[in-house]
Amino acid sequence: MKRTGFYSALALGLLLALPAPAPAADNTIVFGAAISITGKTAKEGEYTRDGYQFAIDRLNELGGVKVGGKSYKLALKYYDDETKPERTAQLIEKLINEDKVNLILGPYGSSPTGTAAPICERYKIPMVEANGSAESIFAKGYKYSFMILSPAKLYLRGIIDAVRAKDPGAKTVAILGENESFSKEVAQGAADYAKEKGMEVVYHELYPSNAQDVSALLTAIKGKNPAILLGSGHLQDSLLIVKQSKDLGVSPKAMGFSVGPSSPEFRENLKGSADYVFGATQWTEALRYTGDDPWKTPKAFADAFRAKHPNYKSIPYQVAESAVAVIAYQKALEKAGSIDPTKVRDALAGIDLSTYYGRVKFDARGVNIYKPMAVEQYQPNGNKYTVWPADVAEKPALYPMPAWDKR
Amino acid sequence: MSSAELSQIAINAILLSGILALVALGFSLVWGIMNIVNLSHGAFIVVGAYLTFWLHAAFHVDPFLSIPISMVVLFALGYLIQRALINQVIRAPLLATFLLTFGLEILIVNLLNFFFKADTRSVMTAYSGAGFVIGPVRVPYIRLGALVVSLALVLALGAFLNRSRLGRAIQATGMDIDAARLTGVQVRTIYALTYGIGAALAGAAGSLLSTLVSFDPNLGGTYTERAFVICVLGGLGNVVNVIIGAVVYSVVEVFVGSRLPALSQAITFGILVLVLVVRPTGIAGKSV
Repeated sequence: MKRTGFYSALALGLLLALPAPAPAADNTIVFGAAISITGKTAKEGEYTRDGYQFAIDRLNELGGVKVGGKSYKLALKYYDDETKPERTAQLIEKLINEDKVNLILGPYGSSPTGTAAPICERYKIPMVEANGSAESIFAKGYKYSFMILSPAKLYLRGIIDAVRAKDPGAKTVAILGENESFSKEVAQGAADYAKEKGMEVVYHELYPSNAQDVSALLTAIKGKNPAILLGSGHLQDSLLIVKQSKDLGVSPKAMGFSVGPSSPEFRENLKGSADYVFGATQWTEALRYTGDDPWKTPKAFADAFRAKHPNYKSIPYQVAESAVAVIAYQKALEKAGSIDPTKVRDALAGIDLSTYYGRVKFDARGVNIYKPMAVEQYQPNGNKYTVWPADVAEKPALYPMPAWDKR
Repeated sequence: MSSAELSQIAINAILLSGILALVALGFSLVWGIMNIVNLSHGAFIVVGAYLTFWLHAAFHVDPFLSIPISMVVLFALGYLIQRALINQVIRAPLLATFLLTFGLEILIVNLLNFFFKADTRSVMTAYSGAGFVIGPVRVPYIRLGALVVSLALVLALGAFLNRSRLGRAIQATGMDIDAARLTGVQVRTIYALTYGIGAALAGAAGSLLSTLVSFDPNLGGTYTERAFVICVLGGLGNVVNVIIGAVVYSVVEVFVGSRLPALSQAITFGILVLVLVVRPTGIAGKSV
């Protein structure tokens, strides 16, 4: 008996002596993120990380964030989720439980964002996500997740509008999408919008992720002779569709993609075949927004980012949207006057900001439906121009796209 | 389905099966002879693609001309890997070679990520996308070229294995390692040669693929998977089986893909399971 008592006391003593999990340094707010540094979306993951880090560094240079009279520095703690959504969930759990991060910044992509959201919900830690635009994530009543970007269903609308402005007679559209949550929503959103505009959707199919051959779909589309061909997948899918369209002589009057053209790799891979192709984009540096943030305009943001990262020639929208997620936190923290996660969450729900990225405001689900999508087009001089919305366009869109054998 | 569409789809399937046969050829050889399911096969393909990309970007070497270079480099790489690493575990349980080749795959992919970055690449030539037209059907030159090269390599490997002394030694080792050893075959060398040839064929497939699809360091896994399915469908033990497997795979993928693209992989794997249940040795494989 005595012995047991002794051991119990010893155990209790040891337990008390164990160091409590190290809290983040007193004056630092740590953002946790699981980002795809390797795997299918490694490139986009890199953009995401660089965007987060860039905004954090800039705010620190400006003295950090003032919360309730106290100045905090910001820091980013991230792990590689290897583009595996189940890994994202584990890492978010680790960031919250072991690393004791204060707030979460989203991963890259809709699927990982979808697995991260319920974890944040469970621990009541807010997540501002900048790279998962599938609205399905926000249909589950989560209170702690916020989407900074225009949702998936808006992605291809701009391209349809831009073409219709040039040619109201363009009445048929073919849509092919990757069978994955984000791309499916993009494709469905485009189909619904086209019908709403009185167009006929002559083809609407999904292909498997990692498709290496879409000749079958394109052959079927060729027979339907659509005015507009729209693709919703990722960069490699868009490249494949353009290449195989050329192989098979599929020549619609306009061709546009949700993801792909906005990346500089699109033209590097396709060379002249990229010309006339439209790309949806969340943001370009040619847009004429003015905002209340450290950079104020898209141009100034882009210049500042290039100065720090000379390897970026044009700035992908993923960088801009990731950086603005940090700005949203800054404003919410200042407004909340506290770093308590629930108070920050409540402040986020009420923000309405003008930024270099456009308007940031969340609807009841936490989705930023207040910012429109822009459209870019590659033109034969080798450059990419913002051609839509018309009021911020750099150049008019070129239309129709000449047939492949007439270039 | 109109007859124009049907004939175009048939041509698409034939063109695709050519390149897929080459993708699976080296994998089938290594599996059949050495009983190694080489999970690093796809990574070798990607190395071939990167070599071609690099030769094209830096020295303007035509991708078709870089095929022999890819093959030589990958043969050397494969030979060394087998000599230095896999020979150590060749008599170990299957799981050991699984783990080793899986580890190799991760290593190669990460090295490629380090040296070439995660950027998506492709090789565009002046004749990319060009082709000729027969009636309603369009045949792209590159895909036709890839088919010709693939068939030539399949036939060359078949002739090598059946006609040459070395080829017969490789086959003999695959049939009975101890008997081969008794007749004076140097098993270690034969294994290294076999693995090297498998890697060289992967390199050739990579060179061709670089002109057809865009790639990044992670592309390999999906081609290892395809090679595996083709080998199971066609059966091991003969180069002709690889062609049969590739044709079945392509026909299913392309025909199903034209009407129910979302289900094409599900149906391909469904057929795989069916073949495994009904004819575990593959459609054309010999029963043991």
